[in-house]
Amino acid sequence: MRKITALFAMLAFAAAPAFAQDAGWETQGLTDDSITIGVMGPFSGNASSYSKAMVGMMAYYQKINDEGGVHGRKLVAVQEDTACDSAKGLAAAKKLISQDQVFMLQGNSCSGVAVALRPVVEESGIPWIVAQAVSDSISAPLARNIFHGVPTGSANGRAMASFVLSKPDTKNVAIIEHSNDWAHSYSDPAKEYLKEQGITPSLELTMERGQTDATAQVLQLREAKPDFIIAALYEAETAIFLKDLKKYGLGEIPVMGTAGTDLENTLKRTGDFDTVKNYFVIHSYVDNLDGPKMEKWADMIKKYYPDEELSTFSFVSIGSAEALVSALEKIGPDLTRSKLIAALEEVRDFDTGILSDPITWTPEDHQGVKGSAVAGFVDEKPTVLKAWGQPY
Amino acid sequence: MKMPTARQRRLRTILFWAVPAILLLVPLGTNAYTQFIVNGMLISTLVTLGFTIVIGNLGQLAFANTAFFGIGAYGSAILAAKLGVPWLLTIPIAGVFGAAGGFLASAAALRGIRSYYLAIITLAFGELMRWSYLHAKPLTGGTDGLPMPRETLFGTSLTDDTVKFYVFLVVTVLLVKATANLLASRFGRAVMAVRENEVATASLAIPTSRVILVTFIWSGFVVGCAGALFARHIGHVFPESFGMLHLIASFAMVLVGGLGSVLGAVLGAVMLTALPEYLRAFPGMEELFFGLIVAAVLVALPMGLASLLRRLSPIFVERFYREAR
Amino acid sequence: MFMQLTLSGLAQGAIYALIALSLTVVYRSTTVVNFGHGDFVMAGAFLSYVLVVLGGVAFLPAGALAVVAMFVLGVLFNRGLIRPILGGPHIGLALMCIAGGYVLRGIARMVWGREVLPMPPVFDMPPIFFGSLVITGDAIVIISTVLVLLLCFFGLLALTDLGKMVQAVYQSPRGARLIGLNVDRFNDVSWGVGAALGALGGILVAPVTLLHPDLGASFLIKGFAAMTLGGFGSLGGAVLGGVLLGIGEQYAGAYLDSSLIEITAYVIIVLVLFVRPQGLLGRKAVVKV
Repeated sequence: MRKITALFAMLAFAAAPAFAQDAGWETQGLTDDSITIGVMGPFSGNASSYSKAMVGMMAYYQKINDEGGVHGRKLVAVQEDTACDSAKGLAAAKKLISQDQVFMLQGNSCSGVAVALRPVVEESGIPWIVAQAVSDSISAPLARNIFHGVPTGSANGRAMASFVLSKPDTKNVAIIEHSNDWAHSYSDPAKEYLKEQGITPSLELTMERGQTDATAQVLQLREAKPDFIIAALYEAETAIFLKDLKKYGLGEIPVMGTAGTDLENTLKRTGDFDTVKNYFVIHSYVDNLDGPKMEKWADMIKKYYPDEELSTFSFVSIGSAEALVSALEKIGPDLTRSKLIAALEEVRDFDTGILSDPITWTPEDHQGVKGSAVAGFVDEKPTVLKAWGQPY
Repeated sequence: MKMPTARQRRLRTILFWAVPAILLLVPLGTNAYTQFIVNGMLISTLVTLGFTIVIGNLGQLAFANTAFFGIGAYGSAILAAKLGVPWLLTIPIAGVFGAAGGFLASAAALRGIRSYYLAIITLAFGELMRWSYLHAKPLTGGTDGLPMPRETLFGTSLTDDTVKFYVFLVVTVLLVKATANLLASRFGRAVMAVRENEVATASLAIPTSRVILVTFIWSGFVVGCAGALFARHIGHVFPESFGMLHLIASFAMVLVGGLGSVLGAVLGAVMLTALPEYLRAFPGMEELFFGLIVAAVLVALPMGLASLLRRLSPIFVERFYREAR
Repeated sequence: MFMQLTLSGLAQGAIYALIALSLTVVYRSTTVVNFGHGDFVMAGAFLSYVLVVLGGVAFLPAGALAVVAMFVLGVLFNRGLIRPILGGPHIGLALMCIAGGYVLRGIARMVWGREVLPMPPVFDMPPIFFGSLVITGDAIVIISTVLVLLLCFFGLLALTDLGKMVQAVYQSPRGARLIGLNVDRFNDVSWGVGAALGALGGILVAPVTLLHPDLGASFLIKGFAAMTLGGFGSLGGAVLGGVLLGIGEQYAGAYLDSSLIEITAYVIIVLVLFVRPQGLLGRKAVVKV
């Protein structure tokens, strides 16, 4: 028995150096002409439409590289697939951290995966900018090295609910959602905000992924006659739900959707303007997806990924990539991980020119984007809105 | 099939213990990533083992494996997170929960629901369990899942993959050995007899119902324990981890390794846990490769990788093992 | 509300019926349950999409072409992958079907992995109102297509010798071979018909829903539930089960709770197998030992 204990002790001792953070740790993943960045995303599996966000972000890296990089260093993305599965995502993170030894991490869609990763990344101490997943618990309570570069679920959910209530005389609100963590990350904070304003949803419905029909839900809505519907549904189900709403004569009720859908593609998917004319979405950008202020970003993605179909996801991670590049530039050529974390914590009111709200990271709060605009159709044109009837 | 000689059997026993002894040294050559994958292989081994004794040895098309796995994982997470039970203790308890699931599944088989009916009802059982994880929010955390509490073992944090590895290894070796012994005993012979001809077996005064019941319960126990390991492996239990995709993955492990073979369960689990990691270079193409590889193995090696080894040397022939028809 | 739910349940149920029927056709001839059938459904929908959107073919000929192509694919799948292992364990066959489905899904994912594709609307006609009852174009098209198809299918079985052949092969492949039936070819055709009918289900839902590689996943289990409810292996039962499941889902979703729609199929499976395992129209299913 003592021998075994001794063996264990020896093994533990042998493994220990792997976890020690020596001097070389600070500059791991850096060379004179490159910074390696681990980019995790669901490149496969049934949530792979999210990975468009990573594609947009990597297009931005390439743009920076074509302009000469940051202090002579190119941003080198090391892509890893999470398949939106926690086991696969953990493997990806561990691979990036301990095998590829990247300098930092940026990216990750799928809140569930990000939540499962948090303890691992936190322990590793390497900087991670969460560039798409929205769940609040990824970055709160505060972890020194984890920064949220998109509006979190609570910011989005509250933005949704406050937009809903900005329509005069909204009393009766119904909710329809998927039963998964993604949908709840929007609907829970929205419900909370409604509750603060003294409103309880009159109807809470679920529509699961893969359902091809929403009759049962829509008929219940017909009985409840809500003033506004909050719909936390993915792309396909949103289109089906809106089609069925119109089919059963409820096309006049406004519907508030999430950042998981956008007006342009929802219109394309339903193929009928009447179906989407009262559809609103969380829109974290300064302009419509095809508006003039977004055009240069769209061109940038198209330049590096010519076959990429653009959706709302394509742009969501670019803002935090800009903040990263600006922080890297401020630090100067003498880069370390600690310096990067310190520099990120000094980002204040950083206007990305793409996100509707600025990014601010402080040592006390790493949830950088506090709000979100809404988009809806005004005069048949997608328009960014601040509140009901008020253009952004 | 040639049977092993007495000398070869001794050699086999030595091999059986030599392998885990060598495995003790694995953490010397791994980093956090490869160690995580190795840990995953140990869990998959147990899941595959539990599956193969029901669909291979007992010959019942029961697909409740993911249900047992989820019951074990949630059992462990609920005990650890809500009641503060040390994780190590939750492993056997999760096994008992899994065994209870096995008892339920066997109730269907014993009511005479067999073949494809059993396949479909157990599939439904698995999906109903997943639905309950989603909707029993106070207990399971619903869609947010349940985080495992932080804990230390031998003074090291249980987020450390090396510590987890030793625990996983001990549990896996114990359960693999126990299962191998069970299958090599009189009971194992009865299990095989039930698969080949249930009526004839009953006529030999072998209590076939009890054989079926015990096999299901043991399968549930093994997979339930694996669930507890998985809860710690991921550190956070989500309903999505117990869906159809994972069932299909372990199903493939059983057949690629070799239906009804303990050795096959180990081989299949190791190979198919490693494969997706090699396919990382081709994101979005896993399904295609997975489909092609499984189809190729099924056509070229219908009795799996273990049958290759058996041809190589009788050492690898398992007692009472018969190829399924 | 009740009538509306019934109508939309009928439209959904018609699709389920088609899928359950196609599963049953394959099962009756080869005693293989195609666990990859959902992906065949998806493949049918994608093929018609490729023809319509990229090939510029009109919807009807595109649908017909896709059905024929899927028939051929079904035959090839049977010849290339199922027949070589037909004597092996049943479990291997089940996994082979899954593997085949994975290949199809993998191809769809490789090409359209990150997109959710809309099919151009084809059944676009103004809905008809009867009081509060709304009858939409797609409901009419789906229900009538399936109805015509079923009439042809069962008519063919009842009026020709085909029905007897199906029965003969189901009961004893060897016996059928002895009386001069080409069982291998019969199996090929069954797989072809199974794949084609499943694909047709996909083609019919494609304009109503959207296309993505995971489209088929939920249909497989619906097909199983419909088969179980109607009676496993019974052709008529598959249709009846499908329709009842479609309607049942709607009632459960509207009158009980919308989160129950997803598990109606599973609950039906468990209840039927415990209470009346032979289903509504099937033969005795329980094995007594």
